[in-house]
Amino acid sequence: MKDLRLERDVQTETNKIEARKVQVYYGTNHALKDVDVDILDKTVTAFIGPSGCGKSTFLRCLNRMNDTVASAKVQGAITLDGEDIYDARVDPVQLRAKIGMVFQKPNPFPKSIYDNVAYGPKIHGLTRTKAELDEVVEACLRKAALWNEVKDRLQSPGTGLSGGQQQRLCIARAIATSPEVLLMDEPCSALDPIATAQVEELIDELRSQFSVVIVTHSMQQAARVSQRTAFFHLGNLVEYGETGAIFTNPKDPRTESYITGRIG
Amino acid sequence: MNTDRHIASAFDRDLEGVQALVLKMAGLVEAALADAASALETRDEALAERVREGDAAIDLLEEQVNTECVRLIAIRAPAASDLRTVLTVMKIAASLERCGDYAKNLAKRSIVLAQMHTIEGAAGSIRRMARQVSLLLKDALDAFISRDVDLAHAVRQQDRDIDQMYSALFREFLTHMMEDPRNITACMHLHFIAKNIERVGDHATTIAEQVIYLATGDLPRDPRPKAESVTMGNL
Repeated sequence: MKDLRLERDVQTETNKIEARKVQVYYGTNHALKDVDVDILDKTVTAFIGPSGCGKSTFLRCLNRMNDTVASAKVQGAITLDGEDIYDARVDPVQLRAKIGMVFQKPNPFPKSIYDNVAYGPKIHGLTRTKAELDEVVEACLRKAALWNEVKDRLQSPGTGLSGGQQQRLCIARAIATSPEVLLMDEPCSALDPIATAQVEELIDELRSQFSVVIVTHSMQQAARVSQRTAFFHLGNLVEYGETGAIFTNPKDPRTESYITGRIG
Repeated sequence: MNTDRHIASAFDRDLEGVQALVLKMAGLVEAALADAASALETRDEALAERVREGDAAIDLLEEQVNTECVRLIAIRAPAASDLRTVLTVMKIAASLERCGDYAKNLAKRSIVLAQMHTIEGAAGSIRRMARQVSLLLKDALDAFISRDVDLAHAVRQQDRDIDQMYSALFREFLTHMMEDPRNITACMHLHFIAKNIERVGDHATTIAEQVIYLATGDLPRDPRPKAESVTMGNL
């Protein structure tokens, strides 16, 4: 009875991130209203919703990227492992080492493949010797399923790789600081279907170690990669639940309309 | 048949998962048929009762297959041979569920028949027919597992043998009834049993046709060979 469920089930019931009554304002625009969400550890959580629904805004709250937007004001509580990430004592740079991020367009540094991955561990002082750094770089490139393709040209520029490879390089770079959470904002929208499938398979593997939160415009992608799905609409979190349930029998009529292509 | 792995390995696990459920169902149905027929022959009411109760497990598996397939379609958006696999799995599960019901019905009637006097030779003939149809069902599922179109075509051809067995039994029961009207109740039960087993053969054929659809993308067009039908005219 349970044989199939096991594969899909999340391995934990531990909350990695808890958000309570989160409000975001851009100037006078109330962009995110009263969002309550528990993001599970070692689980892929997908945020879906039409453009401007607040999903990327919320994602950016999770590693305080909105701090860099002058007009943005964030209220409410967001905790990582029970600790308030908006506490005055929290250094946003340290926080972002723990909560890594991968963006829509692959954006490797104009450096070698090796240095792209080595950069984070170097500036955060995570390794002591060159040998140790080599190990981290190799391990991250392997986790990102890129090692076999680049091991013979680690010193060539990261920007010379194909789009799909660049995105996997960015993922390798993001996991090089041993983050606990990986945020992904439309990580596959610039990739072809095969590269997309490879990145999705990688995401599925990464969830054994990280909590992954992915924002995507592709509902099919959300369905394929995630175990939990949150649907945002007009700044509200409309529905949050197990991905299979959301895609076969959503509770809210707005969710149903969105996933069946009736509102957008 | 495309045997390459998907890049998304979870997709492979899901597809294999629903197919494994259907095979599990088939195993239960085959056992139920064999047990029910044997309960009839040996007048083993306890065994018949177990077959009756066992049908719930088959129904539950069908429900599970449907839930998993719905989920797979919603989440993986299968295409081409993957899509045909999911559709085939659902249809096979529906056929097997019906076969399970027929086995349950056989078990129920065997409990009633155990209280009546024996119709000479009938239970043995029924058991042989049940055995034959089980083999056919097994072949149909083997064809499904290996996507074997030739075997599936063979199953379609062989269903004729089952039909012939049914016609022969029908005549036999009629003779018994005409000889002695006290046999009518028992013979009517036996007739329904034979008819139901014959229907299991039809489901094996349906499964075989689904396998052909799965492997080739087309249902077989040629008319299936049929045994002479039993009509009131040629009794």
